[in-house]
Order: sequence, then C-alpha cells, then structure tokens
Amino acid sequence: MSDRITVEELSELMKKAAGVTVPADDLQQQQDSGFDTFGVDSLGLLGIVGELENRYGTPMPPDAERSKTPRQFLDLVNSALLAGA
Amino acid sequence: MSEPHPRRAAVTGIGVVAPNGTTTETFWKSTKEGISVLDRVTREGCEHLPLRIAGQVREFDPSAAVEERFLVQTDRFTHFAMTAADLALDDARLPRSDTDGAPFSVGVVTAAGSGGGEFGQRELQQLWGKGSRFVGPYQSIAWFYAASTGQISIRRGFKGPCGVVAADEAGGLDALAHAARAVRRGTDVIVTGSTEAPLAPYSVVCQLGYGELSTVADPVRAYRPFTSAACGFVPAEGGAMLVVEDEDAALERGARVRAFLAGHAATFTGASRWEESRHGLAQAVRGALDEAGLAPEEIDVVFADALGVPEADRAEALAIADVLGAHGRRVPVTAPKTGIGRGYCAAPVLDAAAAVLAMEQGIVPPTPNVFDICHDLDLVTGRARAAELRTALVLSRGLMGSNSALVLRRGTAGAAQ
Repeated sequence: MSDRITVEELSELMKKAAGVTVPADDLQQQQDSGFDTFGVDSLGLLGIVGELENRYGTPMPPDAERSKTPRQFLDLVNSALLAGA
Repeated sequence: MSEPHPRRAAVTGIGVVAPNGTTTETFWKSTKEGISVLDRVTREGCEHLPLRIAGQVREFDPSAAVEERFLVQTDRFTHFAMTAADLALDDARLPRSDTDGAPFSVGVVTAAGSGGGEFGQRELQQLWGKGSRFVGPYQSIAWFYAASTGQISIRRGFKGPCGVVAADEAGGLDALAHAARAVRRGTDVIVTGSTEAPLAPYSVVCQLGYGELSTVADPVRAYRPFTSAACGFVPAEGGAMLVVEDEDAALERGARVRAFLAGHAATFTGASRWEESRHGLAQAVRGALDEAGLAPEEIDVVFADALGVPEADRAEALAIADVLGAHGRRVPVTAPKTGIGRGYCAAPVLDAAAAVLAMEQGIVPPTPNVFDICHDLDLVTGRARAAELRTALVLSRGLMGSNSALVLRRGTAGAAQ
C-alpha cells in the first residue's frame, strides 16, 4: 500500500462513504473544485476521514474534515501521513 | 392579504409505493379488486422470527428509484418516501422546473413510526462488532423519524415550511392535517404523507413485544379484523405521499383538484387501552366532522382502523355507532389494509389515498380475507361496491394510544378526467 493517498483512493472513498461517483480522472482535473460541487457534504467528508483513519490506523488532522477541495484535503492528510511515518 | 374566501387544502397528486403495487395505478387496481398480497416474511434475517406474515414491498428496486448517494446515505423508508413523493409530484404535474422558481412555496410534512431500522441495524452491528470508529456518520440522520422530510426537501430543493409528526400510527393522518393547516396559513404546496420500512430484523424484533401483533402463519387467517377469528394485525412496509395544495393556486396552474382535506381531529386514550379508544375515536370523529362542517349522516364511506384485536374492533364499531347513530349501521365501512397489512403511520395515508380514488371512481374497495362480521357494521367484503361518494372518513389508532379521524371531500375534477 502506498503511503500517500492518491486521487484514485479519494475517488473510491467518495463512492464508498458518500455514494458520490466521480471518476479518478475527472477528480484529478477538478482538484480545486469544492466538495459541495461533487455532492459530498460535511457528513460525507467525515465518513471519508473515518475510513482513512481505520485503513491507515492513524488519526487524521482535525482540519481534514473541514477541507473545501480535494487538493486541500489530500495535502492535509498526506502531510499527516508523512509526519506519522 | 385579504382573501375572497378561506384557503382550502386540495389533494392534487397521489404517489403510492405499497405491497400491492409500486405505482398508484397498480395499488388501486389491486385494492379495488380486493387482492391480498399478505405472505411469508422473506427478508434476510427475518425467516426464523416468530412474525410469519407481513405485507412486503417486493417489486421495488431502490437503485432504479433514487440516486446512488441517497442509497448510501438514507434508509429504505426514505427510499420509499422519495419515490412516492416523485410519483405524487408527477401525478400533480408539478415538475422541478415549476417548483425551482418558487422554492419557498413548497414544504414537506411526513410522519414516521419506525424510522430507519435497516440502516440503524447495519451501523449498530458495526458499533458492537468492530467499534465506534466503524459507524458511518450518516447514521446520525438516516434512522431518525425526520429523515424523509429532510431528504425529500433537499433532493427536490423545497424550502417551504417542513415538519415531522412523530405521533404513533395515527400520526399519518395528523401529518396530512398539519399539511392542510400549512396550506390554509399561506403555503401553496405541501408534499405530505408517510412511508415505513419496519421489516428489517431489528425492527421486527422491536415489534415482537406488541401483544396486538399477529404471529399466525397462514396468510389468509393472519389479519381478520371485525370477525370472531380476529387474532391481531399484520405489519407492512411502503406508504404514500400526497401533494396538498391551495385550491386557488392549483386551479390557477390548471391542476386537477381531486379531493379536499376537509376536517381532522386527534385524541389520546393511552397505550393498548382499547376499550377507552371508543371514546377517543368518537371524539376525534366529532372534531373532524365539526371542522369539515358536515353532519354525521353526510359521511358516505368509512375507512376503518381495523386493528384486528377483538376489544379494539368492538371499540371502533361502537365509536362509529356513537357518532353516526343509525347511519353508522348503513354507511359502507371498509378496511383494504387487510390485503396489504398495516404499515404503521403509512397505513392511514394509504387509506386516505384509497379514499380519494374511491370517491373519484364511485367504488368502495373491499376488505380482503374478512367474512362473517361479528359487529353491527356494513363492512364491504368480497368484492367492491359501487356507490356515490362525496365524502370519506378515515380512522386511525396507534398502539401507543393516539386516535385520529380525517374527513375528505370529493374534488371538483370529477371522475371523467
């Protein structure tokens, strides 16, 4: 398993935790769009954070669930994973 | 602000997702033909439970009815509600393009008695099986009684007054009354009704403690109210949503006024105190007639609560006699729910939907599986009966002691359309 969370993994988690399908390629292109434009609400993002914490066995930064965009989110969680490694 | 006449609450759309039909048309066809669809409970995890017979909605594919995110985020009872709301709004010819322009003029009022049991069970199993970190955040909203009102309004972009009635089974009628009041106070449209999904294992186990629940294993004998063989009621899932609209607003946009919500009242007489429900139900009927401005003799058909518990059936028959007098022995009484089961809050809403259709077509649907009445009622059994129906009275009682009565009047659209 990669120690960085990729756009592909985020795309998969959005589908699993919030029921929102955005293909990884599209998500890659639209990393600066708001989560709300994809239909991911605050509970959906909270669910994604919970999945990641269970998957990687490490807490995510408290600000992660308040991220506005996929880029912001990935930057935050990946810096936390790096710091924890 | 002055009105030329008081605003009237008209029914302009009906959407049904029921055990005997997942469209209003199929529901009504089965209902008027008196077809019983009560059958073995086959939901996964329920097969070994002592509840044998129920009214399951078998012909429903949630993934075809609602978007993927609602499949993940909401329970089956909300899938039913969103689907029935779509059907009702289509029936009322009120598309999204119309409501988007005036989102504050459309609200939602639902009633729920069992909430999102299937969703809740799944997440509780995560909690006790794996730990609190494995409970998804949508658990915080999906299993609440309020979920369907919230999700319908979010999904359709409605921003008008919303409400949830958590008042026992009779709350289904109270929700319709709440909608009518909102319309009379100035909101143009309320999408209202109730759907339930109480057949997940957790929900079924919760019901096993009800003394009134029938555990008879034979589908034709399990639910026979008003007979000497009455042995309790059979539960059901599904329900109905109605579009309730200001009459003038409806006429202005060329909608069909199919019925009016003319009067309602509710009382409370205590959990399982069926003998006392006689007086509570009678008082509710008096209140509903009073609000509708009708005399007891003007009721043309009664949709009975029909609990199927001898003491409760007797109380209901006496309540009808108490208020309607001699007319109570002549007026046709029916309980189509004996063919589909009793869907808690959804049950009286399905009866209200059937009452609108019955008035439109001049047909009293029969009471399936019921023969040899042991009460002084003209219960319509066997086959449907033709009758001129200008008014209908719908009765409902809850296991926790609530009693409600709703009076509907036939609309102005007429049967021909």
